[in-house]
Amino acid sequence: MLLSSWQKVKPHSQLKFEHSRSLKHIPEPSGIAYDSTTDHLFIVSDHGILFECDNQGNILRRAEKEGMDFEGVEIKDSFVYVSDESPRKVYQYRKSDLSLVKEYSVSWGGAINKAFESITYNHIKNCFLLVSQSPVVIVEYDTNFHETKRFRFRSARDISDAKWYNGSLYLLSALDETIFKCDPTSYEIKESFKINILNPEGLAFDREGNLIITSDDMQKIYFFKNLPHN
Amino acid sequence: MKKLLLFIIGGITFSVASRAQFSEFQNNIGTSPFTLSSDNNTFQIGGRVSFYYQNRFLKSNEDNLKHNGFDVKDADLNFLGKTANKFTYEFHLSVIDLATAAATGNTANPANPGIKAAYLQYTGFPVYIKFGYDKLPFSQGSLSEVYGTPMWSHANLYGGDLFARRDIGLTLQSRLWKNRINLYGGIYSGMGENFFEYGNDASGRFEYVARAEFCYPGKMKYHVIDEENSPVLQFRVAANARYEDKTQPNAGNVLTSYPDMPGAYGIRMLNGKRGVYGGDAVVKYRGISATFETDIVRMQPASINDPLYNTSSTTLNGKYVNAGGYCAGLNYNWEALHSVFSVMYEDFNANDLAVNSSSSHMSGEQAWLYLGYAYKVNGFNSVFKAEYYRPAIESASLNPLKYYGQIRIGYQVVF
Repeated sequence: MLLSSWQKVKPHSQLKFEHSRSLKHIPEPSGIAYDSTTDHLFIVSDHGILFECDNQGNILRRAEKEGMDFEGVEIKDSFVYVSDESPRKVYQYRKSDLSLVKEYSVSWGGAINKAFESITYNHIKNCFLLVSQSPVVIVEYDTNFHETKRFRFRSARDISDAKWYNGSLYLLSALDETIFKCDPTSYEIKESFKINILNPEGLAFDREGNLIITSDDMQKIYFFKNLPHN
Repeated sequence: MKKLLLFIIGGITFSVASRAQFSEFQNNIGTSPFTLSSDNNTFQIGGRVSFYYQNRFLKSNEDNLKHNGFDVKDADLNFLGKTANKFTYEFHLSVIDLATAAATGNTANPANPGIKAAYLQYTGFPVYIKFGYDKLPFSQGSLSEVYGTPMWSHANLYGGDLFARRDIGLTLQSRLWKNRINLYGGIYSGMGENFFEYGNDASGRFEYVARAEFCYPGKMKYHVIDEENSPVLQFRVAANARYEDKTQPNAGNVLTSYPDMPGAYGIRMLNGKRGVYGGDAVVKYRGISATFETDIVRMQPASINDPLYNTSSTTLNGKYVNAGGYCAGLNYNWEALHSVFSVMYEDFNANDLAVNSSSSHMSGEQAWLYLGYAYKVNGFNSVFKAEYYRPAIESASLNPLKYYGQIRIGYQVVF
């Protein structure tokens, strides 16, 4: 399925972060997820490591099972799901002890490092979403990671993370320095927000809806206030 | 035989070889190769095809139109793999260069043998270890892929005539301080791209290369154009050096033993000692990028009668011959127009003892002005490119020209 091309939505004025912190012990941080039950952050590294951190990014523990190139992370129920980009795998970790529960293989034929940078869960369609970096394709999977549907997303040059929040899908484009708020079923863009971060790779919302972004090149975590709304 | 040799060497190297710090096919924006994956391996197949029409504006009394017509720039295949136990391997093949080498007995373009990368790298330690044939960690201009710019070829300064860009050997790499400091060190055959033709040389000695980079505020890739439209100003400065002592045993002659090795100016290899040192920098902000590089070659031929001295007295030359220069570039990526504009200027001297036959003064200096434009249909993955260059200063003694400008217009697809 092809999403309407070149959707033109006037972006909100550029968002300014409130403060930032160095993630000096998390090499090349990528995806990030917020766990509202513990107020913890889960951050993955390009070096194939899953970290559990406090709400300021301080490391609490790390998963023993490592991968090759972790890029996306999402929390669903009592599990943490991680997308390993290069080998096209999804790892299911138990949130309580970060032990590996299961590995899933997913398919993406494109470039070795332009595959699934993002993983999130669509709570309306009850499916996982994996989003390729470039070209951007939103792929729906059932809970056993069997592919069910694909959507081509042509409104951004790349997508480096995706998160479900408050009934909408949010996509983060590093090259276009933009966050897109998308319709939960059609994935058409409803709103967009410009940001001012170098190489943003991870996107999360805390329980108050405050925005959190990680930057790979800067090895930092940035804290914003809530997104403005029309 | 040459073709067979090239394929055998490539095959052997690939079979044991290929993190791909200089790979043109790992870190680039928009490429669309094919990837296969199994439980423990991921294997990517990519490539690049490009062609152009070129026209030289000949000087009066020149009538050879050999360089006015169509040409294939690239017909490359790339195989890049990663294993679960942290090995990366890559094999990059230029089909057009292999065909040219085979058809001409490697005489048409001996510094482009057709193999651009064939290595194995282990990334499981804090220091990455790479063994095989790849770009040397020297010169920003050489490390940056020209296909990601509006230009069709590298500047002369770092294009391969003054020093080899690729070689076989061992490379160590380590990153510090949140990847802001990037260090390389390695030992190599010293035979550069001609290793496939000659193997190791009779001196039995290596070339040593080291490079140190500092990036701020974050790590940077070897991309000249600011396609990310950097929201904050970022820069990299680097210093690098290389050294070899290729003094041949028994007064051996490099020019007769390895005739393709010294290159256009006779300085890529010499019977004696040779050091190259230089520095480079790049700045990016909001689509604008500026680059600067300087490289100095300091040569000490073993014989005072070496042709590189140009019959100068030892009082004048001090038993050294120098070469080198600088190259500066300015680029603007206008993303809304899918366009990139570039201008570049270089000034270098391939031999500071070169003598102009007409004026009898030292005149090895030459300078070039380059203008480039690219219209990106899909980034540099599918792009129209136009380049114009002309000499600003011509060296009649080292590189007498039959033209006063050249234009190249073509299309490039990376898959």
